[in-house]
Order: sequence, then C-alpha cells, then structure tokens
Amino acid sequence: MNVPHFFLTIEDSGLSMWVRDNPFWAILSIHALGMALLVGASMLIALRILGIPQGLPFAPLKRLYSFIWAGFWIQFVSGGLLLIGYPTKSLTNLDFYIKMVLIVAGMVAMVMLKKRVFTEPALSDTDIRLRGKALAILSLLFWAGVVTSGRMLAYTYTHVSYPG
Amino acid sequence: MNLPHIHLLLNHWPIIGTFIGLGLFVIALATRNRDLRQASYVLFAALAILALPVYLSGNAAAEVLRKQQGWSASLAETHEGAAMLALLAMGLTGIFSVCGLWPSAKSSKVDESHAQSWVSLAVLLSALATAGLMAVAGNTGGNISHEEIVKEGEAPSEIAQLGAKVVLATRYFVIDYSRWVWPMVEDLHFIGLILLIGVVGIISIRTLGFFKQLPLGPLQRLIPLGLLGFVINVVTGFMFFIGMPFFYYANWYFQLKIFAIFIAAAVLVLFYCTSMFQKFGNAGAGQDAPMVAKLVAGASLVLWIVIVIIGRYIPLGESV
Repeated sequence: MNVPHFFLTIEDSGLSMWVRDNPFWAILSIHALGMALLVGASMLIALRILGIPQGLPFAPLKRLYSFIWAGFWIQFVSGGLLLIGYPTKSLTNLDFYIKMVLIVAGMVAMVMLKKRVFTEPALSDTDIRLRGKALAILSLLFWAGVVTSGRMLAYTYTHVSYPG
Repeated sequence: MNLPHIHLLLNHWPIIGTFIGLGLFVIALATRNRDLRQASYVLFAALAILALPVYLSGNAAAEVLRKQQGWSASLAETHEGAAMLALLAMGLTGIFSVCGLWPSAKSSKVDESHAQSWVSLAVLLSALATAGLMAVAGNTGGNISHEEIVKEGEAPSEIAQLGAKVVLATRYFVIDYSRWVWPMVEDLHFIGLILLIGVVGIISIRTLGFFKQLPLGPLQRLIPLGLLGFVINVVTGFMFFIGMPFFYYANWYFQLKIFAIFIAAAVLVLFYCTSMFQKFGNAGAGQDAPMVAKLVAGASLVLWIVIVIIGRYIPLGESV
C-alpha cells in the first residue's frame, strides 16, 4: 500500500515524538477512563429507557448528558494525541475508520434520544419506552462496536510507523 | 514479605474457612436461623475474594521451590489443577452467597422465601463441592513440599489431574487456538470495566451528594449489573493469567492492581453486607447519605479509577 508522505511529516513532529515517549501510557489510561465515562453514562440512559432499573425517576438523568459530553471531549483530545503519535498505524487500518463511523453513530443516537425522551417533561415510563426503545438498543450496539473496534486497533494494524 | 510468603500465609484460609462456613450454614439451615445464614453468606463472599491472591501467588511459590531438591513438576501441575477447580467452585459459592445477601425486590413474603430457598440450595451444593475441592487442593499442595506425607506409590488425585488438564486447555485456548481469542477476551474485559465503573460511578456520585433527585433505593438495583461487570473481569482476567502466568505474577503493576482490587472489593463487601448499608440503602430523593457511606463511596470511586489506570500500565511491567 502507498502510504501518504504526510504521515511521516506528522511522525517527525515534536508533538508526535512527545506522545510516543513517556506520556503514551498515561494518555492511554485517560482514554480508558474517558471511555468509561462516555459509554458508562450513555449506557445508564439507554438501560433506563429499557426499564433498568425500575422505579428510578427519569428526568434527572438528563444531567448525565454533561458527563457524556465531558467524556466525548476527553476522548477527542486523548484520542487525537494518540493519533498524532501513531498516524500511520491508525490511518492505514480500516478498523480505525469503522471506529470513527461508529463513534459518530453513537453520539448521533444519544443526541436524538435526548430530543425524543428528555425535552417533554412528565412522560410516562410507557411513553419513554415507546419513543426511545429502538434508539436505546441501537446506541448500546454502537457503543459496544466502538469499544470492540477500538480494542482491535492494537491487533489489526499493518504498519506501526511510516514504512521505509 | 514476598509472593511465596503470601501464598503460604493465605492458602489455609479458604480451605479451613470453607469448612467452617459450611458448618455454620448447615446449622443455620437446620435451625432456620436467618442471621447465621446471612453470616455464612458474608463469610463465603469474603473467602471467594481471599482465594484470588492465593491462586495468583501460586506460580511465584513454584518458582522458588523449582530450584530445590526433590522438586516435582508433575506434583505442582496437579496442585495447580486442583487449585483452579477449587477457585472456580469458591467463586460460584461467593456469587450465590451475594445473591442470598441481596435484599429481595419481590413484593410478597412467599415469593421471597421461595427465592431464598433456591439460593440456599445453590450455596449448599456449591459449598459442598468447594469444600471437597479445597481439600484436594490442600492435599496436593502439601505433597509438593512435604515429601514425608506422600505415601509410596500413591496415585495422584484424579480430580486434580482433570483440573490440570483444564488449566492446559484454557492456556491453549487463550494463547494458541486462534490469534483472535486474546483480543476478544481483552474486549470483554473492557466491556466489564464499563459496567463496573458505570455502576460504581453513578451510585458513588449520588451517595456523595450529587444527583440528589435520584432516590438511592432504585439506584441500588443497578448493583447486580456492576457485579456482572466484576465477574466478567475476574473471569477474563484469569484467562489472561492462565494464558501467561509468568508474565503476570512477576509484573509489578499486576501485583499492585490485584492488591487494589482486593482492597476495593473488601470495602464494598464489608459495607454492603453489614448494617452500615441497611441504614441508608433506601434513602429517597433529596435525602443525604450518612458520612460513612460518603467515605465508602469516595474511596470506592477513587480505588476503581486507580485500578483502571494501573491495569493500563501492565504491558509496561514487562521491562521492569
């Protein structure tokens, strides 16, 4: 495969070398915690729409969206740094693009859910379920896909760095 | 204090503890003593957590003995097999016990006692199996370093040998069967992490005083989901360990992580299984949790976050 020379330019930059150096594992740790925040908060909303746990008031969960967005931006920055550290490794891997598409799908599902079930106050449990069930299940599937494709990045790459 | 020392220090507890727990449990069932039954459940849950470091320090103990005279690799493998089966049974007993401790959501008393008798039966059977397997694990372990008790021509335990085969089969499955098994187990380990951190996170945050509109009672119904994440991660974690024991046991980050999990799990078991929890478990919307609960929530949240970070550093332990 012809690897764009641009990737080498990134890899030779000071920031890229810094990422590959000591902070790499720290950034990876932050990326794991950001995942727990983003996916964990999304999961709690989706599960509640599906009726788990019973008896938990629904409206206060709207505040979990600030956790979702905090998680999203933590992932954006830490993931962006990891990408700058290893541009060739990620960008020559089809799995990386699958992960990006699934992230967009997951976020879109969460934003759509917010519109459908959180904007009108005092919806009954049955209403919430009726309006949000499909999106809730989809979002859980998308996030499981994001985690899986993300984890697979460590096992599916063809180049660690710019070849040659 | 080193790992072989820890192995010797802790290994008698799950064995003797299981026998004591089983005795208490049988008495509790015979006399219909609810408190004693709950106490046996707490004991079983604590023993299951205690058994984890015992198993994980076994390879380190074997490494020390390997250099000594009269070392027999086959005796050690037999012991490893028995220990694995005993740990599995102990884990099941622990899980069933936690189910028994779980405050029932069932509305009627009849339903609840019905569910409780099923849990009692499951705990009784698995504790009996655990006691038997623990005895085999203890015997085969004793044989390794006490030649004087090994009878001439004595056949090694068949159950232990079966266990040794299971260990080898698991190692083969995780490492050699397909290059995709390890990544898929990693994936499950991350899914389990999300379940665990998600549930610990929301309950801790609420207990600390944020999200006060959420009543704690219904929120606690998420705990089985968090426990599911914990069980997934113990099982997948052991698959990694059985796959590459010599990479992990000497890995400083791994040792620290197991120690931290041990503390974090013990804190939660002690908290949820005692009256500390009963007092505030049903706190409604807007109600403040007591100081003890806040301390436990804060400590748990920090500990589990630290555990994720240490875990992420384990690959680096290779070069330490």
